[in-house]
Amino acid sequence: MNEQEQAQRQFIVNISQRLGRPMPKTPPEHPFRGAPPFWKEHTRAIAADPARMIAQFIECWQQAGGEAKSFPSLDGLRTFIVDTATEMKARAFIRHRHPLLDELKLEEELSESDWTVWDGQRPEEMKNKANAADIGVIVADYAVSATGTIVTMSSADKGRSVSLLPPMLIAIVPASCIRSSLGEVMSQISAIGMERMPAGIHFISGPSRSADIENDLTIGVHGPGIVYALIFEDR
Amino acid sequence: MKATNEQTVLERAKQALNDEFLRNAVKLTTEKLKNGRLSAAKQLGNWEEWRERARQIRQHTIAHLDYYLNQFADQARKQGVHVHFAKDGKEAVEIAIRIAISKQAQTVVKSKSMVSEEIHMNEALEQNGIESVETDLGEYIIQLAGEMPSHIIIPAIHKNRKQIAELLSRDANETLAPDTAVLAGYVRKKLREKFLAADIGMTGCNFAIAETGSIVLFENEGNARMVSTLPKTQITLMGMERIVPTWDDLEVMATMLPRSATGQRLTVYMSGITGPRRPDDGDGPEEMHVIILDNGRSLQLGDPEFQELLHCIRCGACLNACPVYRHIGGHSYGSTYSGPIGAVLKPALNKNVLEWDDVANASSLCGACYEACPVKIPLHDMLVYLRRRKNEAGAGLCSEKWMMKGFKVVMAKPHRLRAVLKAGRLGQMPLVRDGAISAHLGPLKGWTAYRRFPALAKPSFRERWPHLQAELKEKARRASVKEHVQLRLKQIREKRTKKTGGNRDE
Repeated sequence: MNEQEQAQRQFIVNISQRLGRPMPKTPPEHPFRGAPPFWKEHTRAIAADPARMIAQFIECWQQAGGEAKSFPSLDGLRTFIVDTATEMKARAFIRHRHPLLDELKLEEELSESDWTVWDGQRPEEMKNKANAADIGVIVADYAVSATGTIVTMSSADKGRSVSLLPPMLIAIVPASCIRSSLGEVMSQISAIGMERMPAGIHFISGPSRSADIENDLTIGVHGPGIVYALIFEDR
Repeated sequence: MKATNEQTVLERAKQALNDEFLRNAVKLTTEKLKNGRLSAAKQLGNWEEWRERARQIRQHTIAHLDYYLNQFADQARKQGVHVHFAKDGKEAVEIAIRIAISKQAQTVVKSKSMVSEEIHMNEALEQNGIESVETDLGEYIIQLAGEMPSHIIIPAIHKNRKQIAELLSRDANETLAPDTAVLAGYVRKKLREKFLAADIGMTGCNFAIAETGSIVLFENEGNARMVSTLPKTQITLMGMERIVPTWDDLEVMATMLPRSATGQRLTVYMSGITGPRRPDDGDGPEEMHVIILDNGRSLQLGDPEFQELLHCIRCGACLNACPVYRHIGGHSYGSTYSGPIGAVLKPALNKNVLEWDDVANASSLCGACYEACPVKIPLHDMLVYLRRRKNEAGAGLCSEKWMMKGFKVVMAKPHRLRAVLKAGRLGQMPLVRDGAISAHLGPLKGWTAYRRFPALAKPSFRERWPHLQAELKEKARRASVKEHVQLRLKQIREKRTKKTGGNRDE
């Protein structure tokens, strides 16, 4: 037993003693796990109606100060991103490596800009590129309509910095990834299994903000201040 | 206003009450946060059911804390985390410093952590020649000012824009306009360089998930993500009670914490971090440490009066609801944790009754804290328990003890009370104006400085009692006569119906 494990044993034994019983050997019965039943029923009803979920997601995202729009086709989505980026005079982009983004071919449309596709094999370069980028582009793994949240999970192709360092974030949200409650995403995460757990799972609900100076709302304090959630109606 | 622990809560509160900006700022902010919470609760619906569920989960977790903490540590290790256990603040600091030295760290960037404040981590890092930078905007401001946070959620609640502009201008070596966008823009730029260059990122921990060994951070600015993404080493400081069993349970905490803290549906960022970066990942820390801290927490376990204190999720709702906090602000409490939760937590964690501060008395016991609490901790009851324990330990006020003794002597015999009341009526004569006393005199001063003290009644209740008693007896007699007559009438009516009834149906 190493030092850390010994410290752990002492620490835990003390807790068991204070609780006045030996430590349970089997998992304790946990009858109140997760959200109350009425909430699960409520969100299940919303989940049955995809259009309602999209509308709810857009409303919440906008209330938090983000921009949201839904697109029935990839062409419409592509045009919107190109127009927005041009209007913003964005020069440098960094994006996740993702089939949907490959298919969008934004690099061809915005060929005069500097594009970086995330590559976990070149960490230092990625860090510098993400820090210098004007816009980060990602595809969300999930979205939650009840809270207006997008979820992104880190991997070799999906750096955490992409959704964090540039002043502007564009997140493409496939409609099939939208869930009605946080709980539905949580159970998906539980089911991933220890071997394949991503190191970073990030729930993002709008632009970076602070009210620390005299309660005055400031946008874009450390993370992106401009955030677009663009829904692609893939179903 | 620095941390002035030698003063009493009364002296600190007096200082705070004389600071008009502070009073208004605290009032405005707490009001805003409180209203945010109320409207978020209303918008969600079924708030009481949610509260009850959150309480159930917290209660279950703390009742099995040994099991879940063990599970968390085992799972986190499987993900490659170095898990450390520290029985007090000193040990936790030593562990962190040891890691920092082994990494030859020069700079540590920190995101908000109440535990770090609790164990004075910044001072320890500085003493070892390691620069320690708070990166939450509010925390950065109070670090520059050399102060303590005065609110769990909004640490620089007590500073105005001009003061902040002065602090940041000194930091920048140039004059910055007292404009929120300018000031925040400066901090963004300055701290971005720090994030990119720092050797170690240090975070707190809102929740730790036992089933996967993950830690979860809630924040709005993105600095906690920076701290846990850019530096090569991450150290997370975690109070041992921060566990929840599963991700499913996190949904309930994620529903309650942001709504109770600021009224948001969810904070802008909620990050679940499970171990250091995977071998192919391009960012995230290469090495991750979690330091789990006891520091007096385990003393609450098995104590029926205080175990629920460990249910706290640090949302700050009780501060915003507390009429006392809203007047005197956080610094008056003289500790890292302020407001009702701080008033209970500080003495409870220290456990040495005789060293207990007088903060437990800074409460009107109105129970607003309990009503605001998303996990239903009965803080107002705990304040009473604290006062009782303090008295039992002989730490009560001497004057109070003598007053109680005197009260006992007077009340033991009716003639003594009569004599005292008579003397009082004579004694008060020169002071009474319009049936009340307003002179600032002796022991009455604390009351009469702000309001009138009603004079002793001319005939006291006791003196009027024989007369009142006779009146009551007479009333009761009359009522019983009435009752008696009515009963007779009822009997006569019943007899009559018996005689006449029945003929038709038989």
